[in-house]
Amino acid sequence: MSAPLLLILIAALAFLATHVAYEWLAKRLLIVSGAEYLVLGVLLGPHATKLVSPAAIEAFDPIVILAIGWMGIATGMPLQLQRLVRIPAVAYRLSLVEGLLTLALVATGVASAIAYAFQVPLQEALVPALALGAIAVASTPAGLDVAYGDGTRSAPVLRQIEVAQGMDGLISVLAFGIVMAWAHTAIPLTVRALTTTEWVVVTLGIGVVGGTLFHLFLGGETSPDRLFISLGGAIVLTSGAAAFLQLSPALAAFVMGVVLANSMRHPASVLQVLRTGERPLYYVLLLLAGASWNPDSNIVWWLVLMHYVVLRTLSKLWGSGIATWFNGAQQSVGLDWGRGLVGQGRLTIALAMDYARRDLPFADVIFTCAAASVLFTEFFAARFVRSAAAPLLAPLEQFTVTTSAVVDSVAETMTQRFPEWRSGDAPSSDERTP
Amino acid sequence: MRRIVILLVLYAVMQGIFLLGSAESGVPTLMLFGFLILAAYSVGELATSFGLPKIVGYMLAGLFFGPPGLAYVSKPVIVELAPVSNLAIALIAFLAGAELQIAEIRARGIGILKMMSAELVLCFVGVAAVIALLRGQLPFLASAPGTEVLAFSLLFAAVAVVHSPAATIALLSETKANGPLARYTLGVVLVMDVAVVLIFSAVLAAARALVPPTDGSGGVQMGTVLWEIGGAVLVGAVLGLFVALYLRFISRELFIFAILIALLGAEIAKILHVETLLTLLVAGFVAENASGGHGEKFRHAMERAAAPIFVVFFALSGAKLDPASVLPLWTIVVPVVLVRMLAIWGGTTLGARWAGLDPVVTKYTWYGLVSQAGVAFGLAAVVAEVYPDRGEALRSLLLATIAINQTVGPILFRVALKRSGELKSTG
Repeated sequence: MSAPLLLILIAALAFLATHVAYEWLAKRLLIVSGAEYLVLGVLLGPHATKLVSPAAIEAFDPIVILAIGWMGIATGMPLQLQRLVRIPAVAYRLSLVEGLLTLALVATGVASAIAYAFQVPLQEALVPALALGAIAVASTPAGLDVAYGDGTRSAPVLRQIEVAQGMDGLISVLAFGIVMAWAHTAIPLTVRALTTTEWVVVTLGIGVVGGTLFHLFLGGETSPDRLFISLGGAIVLTSGAAAFLQLSPALAAFVMGVVLANSMRHPASVLQVLRTGERPLYYVLLLLAGASWNPDSNIVWWLVLMHYVVLRTLSKLWGSGIATWFNGAQQSVGLDWGRGLVGQGRLTIALAMDYARRDLPFADVIFTCAAASVLFTEFFAARFVRSAAAPLLAPLEQFTVTTSAVVDSVAETMTQRFPEWRSGDAPSSDERTP
Repeated sequence: MRRIVILLVLYAVMQGIFLLGSAESGVPTLMLFGFLILAAYSVGELATSFGLPKIVGYMLAGLFFGPPGLAYVSKPVIVELAPVSNLAIALIAFLAGAELQIAEIRARGIGILKMMSAELVLCFVGVAAVIALLRGQLPFLASAPGTEVLAFSLLFAAVAVVHSPAATIALLSETKANGPLARYTLGVVLVMDVAVVLIFSAVLAAARALVPPTDGSGGVQMGTVLWEIGGAVLVGAVLGLFVALYLRFISRELFIFAILIALLGAEIAKILHVETLLTLLVAGFVAENASGGHGEKFRHAMERAAAPIFVVFFALSGAKLDPASVLPLWTIVVPVVLVRMLAIWGGTTLGARWAGLDPVVTKYTWYGLVSQAGVAFGLAAVVAEVYPDRGEALRSLLLATIAINQTVGPILFRVALKRSGELKSTG
């Protein structure tokens, strides 16, 4: 099958999946659909039906880079300063501790597991371990969206989960971008070799320039066509430039998203354009990730995978609980809100794909850990969120029901007492006086 | 001023990124794709302040950043971005088909056919005559026997009669013009586009009979031509019906659906060896006329999807131009371009009077028919393939002519729309 036709079919499948399977499963079964496309990718790939050849996967590299950039900007766009300053500081404190703890614990555990399992010096295991640590921090916002809709979440526990997911995205993308800058070995043709800090600055600079260009482009106009052209061009340019320099497209696009969110008058219109492409691109990414997956039955892989899964789950569940207990916030958000962060999704796959497409050590192991995590947690992400928030929301819901009942009862009594109120023509106090 | 600042920022960014690139970085196709969208769009906006159509700006950007200029967009990048051009052609064809409503064909069909046929005859004969008369200027024809002169003159004329649906659709989208002049011009361009497939195939067969190719290959069989056209109608109709059903019963996410349909149509046409343009044209026509009034929303979605693709398509067309090749051939290129314009003017005027059309249509339609682009490039490549030795020289001549028509054509069409009062937006 020709590569372009295959891409069309993959995109069509992703498109149908977005609007049929995703909504249906989400509404009826509280399941976040997506991970099954990873399995479908494996079935289409060189290890099963061979419908997608390794050459075809390589031909899709620009789409993969674009999708990584798209996930990056989608993670950065919600970080709108005007909205963030209204959130209590304790929510950030809890999220930051949970995120950093996950990064540190997973990176340390995986580094020692890789060094032990593959008999390599610890130094050699650092880059993959830190990259996996960064990937481990990411948690999918899809669970919260499916469980409680994507509107404003006023309940403290939902807000805490939302803030933590945003913080996870920030830490994950930033840490991954720094690791990629650290692992950068290519020497520029015309200037001296750059330091890690300089490469990080270059990555951030690409994002800032991308956001600025978008602004200059848009000016005062808000026509959807102009918006689409300039946003599309800016994302492609930003992701492409970062990929060309072997830096992280996700970080560059993330910075661009933050710049846009905080400088635009109406970021909602940009978010709308972003959402149009986000899920189909995620499914394409999942299918390609599945097709390019090279799992191994070697027992040592399982050791690394076990470390990843166990340490990540522990730090998400216990780390968040301990941080909450220390800050005395258990009254408002409970000790179990970390369950809402167990699900992994779009960002995890994007970062894992970004790692795998480079010539970096243990790429297959890293990719396997991330893919397995998405495979086993994304389906239930909404249920995890529900289980974290439901006990705290139950009294609130009960209160709402009781309040509604009282209001209804009062209204009914008033209507019976003063029938003319029903038509909205309330009598004056003089009229009511006998 | 803002556009100039954007271009300067883009220039600085590209310089900086290329400065930091390493030996292992490879070809930055994706980055240059994004760069072309932004840079060409800016130049396009800048062009409107000089009263030029945006697509001329896009092409100028391609010329400036392409191999003849700064060479950011190198030849390998142009090759790698070829799928974007194919997608653009597919979108253009679908949009063109969707513009044709049955009621309009009934009302304007006869007038369009009369103008097209008169213009076709005059243009074909005029251009062939010029080539035959000026053969002394062409090294590969100067001492050739009469049959060869006749064969190559006819081949050249068969490519010269082609118009540019891409430029016409892009300009109409840009200006939102929808009056009689715009509709007649579009009609002639589209009908000619279908007719030219038949004409070119017939002329190529005649040329092969007069001057057999050295290796005896590369010809076009009648059966192949029939399948290319008949198959395209069939495949296009099926695709159009599918789109119509989708629009009637689902009608969601039209933006992504539009891109998928254009890609799918182009790919199916390629696999089944049918005419891509005609396939998408028929698909657009069927979808528009069978969707029970849902077509307009889909057309708008497709126009949105096409906007950035058009920008890159025309920028790539500009990058493919080679101004240096025009100069040595100017003694023959200029007369050919002038005679072609004269023939188009004469033909459309004659045809419009024959059909008793509005004086505005009679006077200005020819302005919109000067452009040439993608189809002409493709036909020139076929000639070069069939006659590798002399065909290449003929191709250079064709490309030089197309370069001028491609640049001047959109400007003339815009002038015509303005003078006729159909230019609603200055872009």
